[in-house]
Amino acid sequence: MQRREFFKTSIVASAAILGTNLAAAETHQPKVGQRVSEMAFPEKRPMITYSDRPPLLESTRATFARGITQNDEFFVRWHLPDIPTHIDLDAYTIKINGLVEKELNISLHELKNDYEQVEVTAVLQCGGNSRSAFTPIPGGIQWGSGAMGCAKWKGVRLSDLLNKAGLKKDAHWIGFNGLEKAAYYKTPNFVRELELTELDDHVIVAYQMNDEDLPYLNGFPLRLVLPGYYSDSWVKMLSNITVTDKYKSLFFMDMAYRVPDNKTEGETPEHHAKTTKPITHMNVKSVIGYPENGMQVYHNSHVVVRGVAFDDGHGINKVMISVDEGKTWEEALLKQENGRYAFTEFRFAYKPTKYGKLHIMAKAINRLGNEQPFAKEIPWNHGGYKYNGIDVITVEVV
Amino acid sequence: MKKIILIATLAVGSLFAQVKGDMEVPYISYQIKMGHGFDAVQANCLMCHSFGYILNQGPQSRLFWSKKVDKMITHFKAPIMKDDKKTVVDYLFKHYGNGKLK
Ligand code: HEC
Repeated sequence: MQRREFFKTSIVASAAILGTNLAAAETHQPKVGQRVSEMAFPEKRPMITYSDRPPLLESTRATFARGITQNDEFFVRWHLPDIPTHIDLDAYTIKINGLVEKELNISLHELKNDYEQVEVTAVLQCGGNSRSAFTPIPGGIQWGSGAMGCAKWKGVRLSDLLNKAGLKKDAHWIGFNGLEKAAYYKTPNFVRELELTELDDHVIVAYQMNDEDLPYLNGFPLRLVLPGYYSDSWVKMLSNITVTDKYKSLFFMDMAYRVPDNKTEGETPEHHAKTTKPITHMNVKSVIGYPENGMQVYHNSHVVVRGVAFDDGHGINKVMISVDEGKTWEEALLKQENGRYAFTEFRFAYKPTKYGKLHIMAKAINRLGNEQPFAKEIPWNHGGYKYNGIDVITVEVV
Repeated sequence: MKKIILIATLAVGSLFAQVKGDMEVPYISYQIKMGHGFDAVQANCLMCHSFGYILNQGPQSRLFWSKKVDKMITHFKAPIMKDDKKTVVDYLFKHYGNGKLK
């Protein structure tokens, strides 16, 4: 009961802050405490649910107290409503065509038997994760912090597939297409294009996630895995890879998943930047999984703050915790056993000695020395992409 | 008092009809506010996505809703009649508006 009330007042307080400042753009902590739906989607436990068509599901914060995200709590994001609900595994093939010596139609059986099988543990994060941190609201789903997860992916190297097909001399762009379709024939389809130079040996075509088949809603039976990159390019239900010499202009490439092409990647609501660039590599970020906002903790008790940190694969060097509004910072303990593309788990033991509200902050620093800024220092952008503010949660010491 | 009713399936039942079988995606009962203009929303806005997309934006200004509909028309090629556009925007602003024109 009390916990509920505490929660309500903190929401009202933040609404009041937003209310006074609506005209000017500002960045703040993303939404917290969204309700988990009563209804579960196939192969999922009940999650924060925004839409059924297309399915859009967010993981709760508690998910991020652990370094591997379970398949049934892994977030779900589709763009278009028409996704196959049945896959014939014997008939499914992935086609490789365009500027190749030999067109290929690879069955799942061939994929699993004729190529070297590889694994990579990597974070999958929507470029719009934490979009609700931006005011005024940018277009798109108003995610809290749970449009991300980390899993162990198994599949075959994209480069092995491309080598088998044999790239022609002019090959420069690779288009990836999944089975997801628009409901209306004129709506642009969701196709991603990547430059050949962006694709290294870590890019795989995966059929397993945490030792199980991919869940339908995470792209069964095959998806592209691009460690270090935002999830917009991790095409689900991958069915076609087309090699071209020229970039094709497509809505979802030209308009979506782009940020201002300037140093701060910022702009104002009145004047959007004239030139933009794709979001590509993830910036350094951390999320506290435990305790959660609004929880009560006992005075003088042992609280173990836990969470995850990651970047685009340079690797996390330190996670710093502050319990005094960012005046002083102490190092958390790190657990890094799944490689540089995975979540780094952090934990920090703390004994609260003052009653009342307590803000706990987490800031990750990667091996390049890049660190998370305070939310308010992050410039606004109209797509609401790449939020990576220092995470702050508020508990009450009783 | 505003009347709120639950609509279980709306007009989107055919979205998954193309491929039958293994998985069934549940339908969500969105709490949709009834009123003048809802017919236009149902006819124009629920073909490509659920009502959830609209609700998720939270209460917004009239200009916001008007621009959103424009975005649907220019970027996603939504086939929306001129007259319907105004009806839809009026409805959204009335029920999901923040009281501000801009
Ligand atoms: C022809 C298909 C189509 C129609 C019809 C359509 N939309 Fe959309 N809508 C989309 C697509 C595609 C997206 C974005 C999907 C994505 O990026 O995941 C979208 C996204 C949205 C969003 C999320 C915010 C954003 O900017 O992406 C809102 C709100 C929205 N639509 C409202 C409407 C309203 C209101 C109508 C009726 C006037 C409408 N839509 C009709 C295709 C459509």
